[in-house]
Amino acid sequence: MATDLLPGAPPGEPKTRRPWRERVVPRKPGRRLASALRHRWLYVMLLPGLAYFLIFKYWPMYGLHIAFKDYLPFLGYSGSPWVGLKHFQALFAGPDLGRLMTNTLILALLTIVFAFPAPIVVALMLNEVRTSVVKRSVQSLIYIPHFLSWTIVASLTYLLLSADFGVLAAFIDDLVGGQQVDYVAQEGWFRPIIIMQLLWKQTGWGTIIYLAALAGVDTQLYEAARVDGAGRWRQLWHITIPAIRPAIVVMAILTSGHLLDTGFEQIWLMTTSLNRSVADVFDTYVYYIGITQGAFSYSTAVGLFKGLIGVLLISGSNWLAKRLGQSGLY
Amino acid sequence: MTIRTRRGWRLPVALALVGALAVSAAACSSDDSSQQSLDKITMMTRLFGTAPKADGEVQKAVEKLIGKKLDITWVPNAEYGDKTNVVLASNNIPDVMAVDEKAPTFVKAAEAGAFWDLTGKLDKYPNLKPADQQTARNSSVNGKTYGIYRVRPLLRSAVVIRKDWLAKVGLQQPETTEDLYKIAKAFTEQDPDGNGKKDTYGLIIPKWPGGYASSSPYDVIETWFGAPTGWGERNGKLVPGFDTEEFYQANRWLKKWVDEGLINRDFATLDSANWNDPFVQGKGGIIIDVNVRANQLIDLFKQKTPDNIDKVVMVGNLKRPDGQKFSAPFTGYNNVLAISKQRVRTDKQLDEVLATLDKMQSKEGSILLTNGIEGRNFKAEDGKAVPINQTDPAVKVIQNDVDKAFIQLGTRASVGLGAYAPKYADEVSQKLYDLRDTLMQEDLKTAVHNPALAVISPTLIQKGSTLNLIIPDARIKYLSGAITEDQLRAEVKRWYDSGGTQVAQETNDLVAKIGK
Repeated sequence: MATDLLPGAPPGEPKTRRPWRERVVPRKPGRRLASALRHRWLYVMLLPGLAYFLIFKYWPMYGLHIAFKDYLPFLGYSGSPWVGLKHFQALFAGPDLGRLMTNTLILALLTIVFAFPAPIVVALMLNEVRTSVVKRSVQSLIYIPHFLSWTIVASLTYLLLSADFGVLAAFIDDLVGGQQVDYVAQEGWFRPIIIMQLLWKQTGWGTIIYLAALAGVDTQLYEAARVDGAGRWRQLWHITIPAIRPAIVVMAILTSGHLLDTGFEQIWLMTTSLNRSVADVFDTYVYYIGITQGAFSYSTAVGLFKGLIGVLLISGSNWLAKRLGQSGLY
Repeated sequence: MTIRTRRGWRLPVALALVGALAVSAAACSSDDSSQQSLDKITMMTRLFGTAPKADGEVQKAVEKLIGKKLDITWVPNAEYGDKTNVVLASNNIPDVMAVDEKAPTFVKAAEAGAFWDLTGKLDKYPNLKPADQQTARNSSVNGKTYGIYRVRPLLRSAVVIRKDWLAKVGLQQPETTEDLYKIAKAFTEQDPDGNGKKDTYGLIIPKWPGGYASSSPYDVIETWFGAPTGWGERNGKLVPGFDTEEFYQANRWLKKWVDEGLINRDFATLDSANWNDPFVQGKGGIIIDVNVRANQLIDLFKQKTPDNIDKVVMVGNLKRPDGQKFSAPFTGYNNVLAISKQRVRTDKQLDEVLATLDKMQSKEGSILLTNGIEGRNFKAEDGKAVPINQTDPAVKVIQNDVDKAFIQLGTRASVGLGAYAPKYADEVSQKLYDLRDTLMQEDLKTAVHNPALAVISPTLIQKGSTLNLIIPDARIKYLSGAITEDQLRAEVKRWYDSGGTQVAQETNDLVAKIGK
């Protein structure tokens, strides 16, 4: 067997399988290898996942170095000259950074305030529903928008809210009785529309994880609480919410890592000449500068900068979670 | 403990995998391009409908004519710019591609040597030799020719109006901007569709995909009021068109239209692919665009109301209120066919490609690309192409392949200038088609040409991405009422402050160096 050929494998090692407990104990490198070989199928199963991360997450990082070059595709990676921090200087000195930061952070903040708690609230509400038929059908109905692409959501929004033929816009205007508002073109309506789209599309999907956590709560706790005279709100506060708190914290940390990913497709599709000043976020800017205008190095620098802020945010919130006595992600 | 054991092995496994990947990647990219034969030429151009099949009749016919196989990438027009940038960033640049020769990515790539400098190299090919020196200069990049320009009529701007509505409100064809205003007002307020409701408007404007001076309705109207097309001379120096009082006058005038509801309210968001819809559906009655739109509209009316298609009237550029006329010209070309150096490495290979293109742009080739296959989808009659067999599905495919796709490969005979002028089956379409030339000849007398077409300032190549959006965005905001005229002027100042000052200086210097 192969183990015998490897250095450090002690001679005369019994080749029969030993009980699990025993296999956990060895610490010598040779034993480790032996253990690895014994679990080889687990490692084989790990390979596709590893390959995914290497090919789609780590391999492309090689290209990040063009942020420090004046990259020209024709000259290639190696032929393009190094320019140091020129593109970062341009970003910090240029007129766009402030606007991008503001827009991105405001959208991120709105997402935390509105879109993050929404699934929790909905999950709690669904949890209180007694009839399981109602519960199930509501649950399924609010999932559905998750499976629509942003293109469809954006088209629907335009159809409903267009000043010229929007059904919903006309309805609201009749209701309010004011003059017609071009909701999809006005700066002031951009963020509300983005958040409303987000709520409509993702809330239902987001409830899944919380509903799963809620399903795991020991019903005896509720019984005990009722015996002690706790009402609905007390039960909610002292049993339900503590039970799903770990799920909330993990979701919060994961969300913070994606905070700056403000949903490229969604925003790109909703951007017009009239709302660009509030709609420009890092992702759309990188696309516009990089793909539409072909400034590859500069847009890579912007993307890298965004990535750095993302790392800061996620490690910050992890640290905060630990400080608050919750188990962090790592 | 188990975890420790596994962690110890994670790194080696990962490294081994990376190694394997690197080896396979290296294996994939080891072809030597200079050895590749040019029996097959790869091309990329714009597409305006469904892509032709590679074994379609038209492609076969073109291949037979040039004696080479073709591999053509058809890219939908709306995403052509983005796709060009992606292609330029790849290892897969087609041998021949239609590009906007002033786009920053192309200029950078060409200056780095990704494309052949064809300056002075085209004269020995009779069908590639520029027919018009002015257009040849305009399509150069600061004096260097990077491609063969795809010719277009020199002037295409026109105003298209609903004919039946005009009769209903009892007004004449417009001659001045004030006439047009009266028509728009009547279209909005006098119920031209006769349904008893005030549900119509005058002018239809879509969300414009291009920037400033991209032949948008706004640009055309500004020219009517006397603003330069792109760049113009003021006090002996070239200034951008938006830095002139005429620019503000035109937009003030157009703002009145918006305020009075004479323009579709979703002018900032209406998808330009649906531009014709409000016109055909009877919501709006005026379109300011290229003259080919008149025939497009007739074709749509043919589907909607086949027995009554005479619903379009077309006029040329309009006089401004004081009676002076300024017409908005076109550049005379649209994109150039550039030749990449990726596979075409030697002068001999370049000659091979150019000779092939020369065959393709010959009289015979031009007919194939712009009219189709004689005897299959058209016959020549008095120098005109008469459509035949149009009900045969196979012929429909040919007609589509030519009109929506292959015509985009033509450089000499091209859109609006077919090898044979088309002969329409109906009188209405024929008249509108013939009118194009009449209007063009008339308006060319008052055309305001852009003296800076041939140049592109280096600063604009570097900073164009941020600069180019400022003016068109501000203009739309002003028109929609989001900002005041003072704020619009402030945006023009912001353009100058963000690098526009250098752009203006460099443009002046380059034009002085290269000549107009």
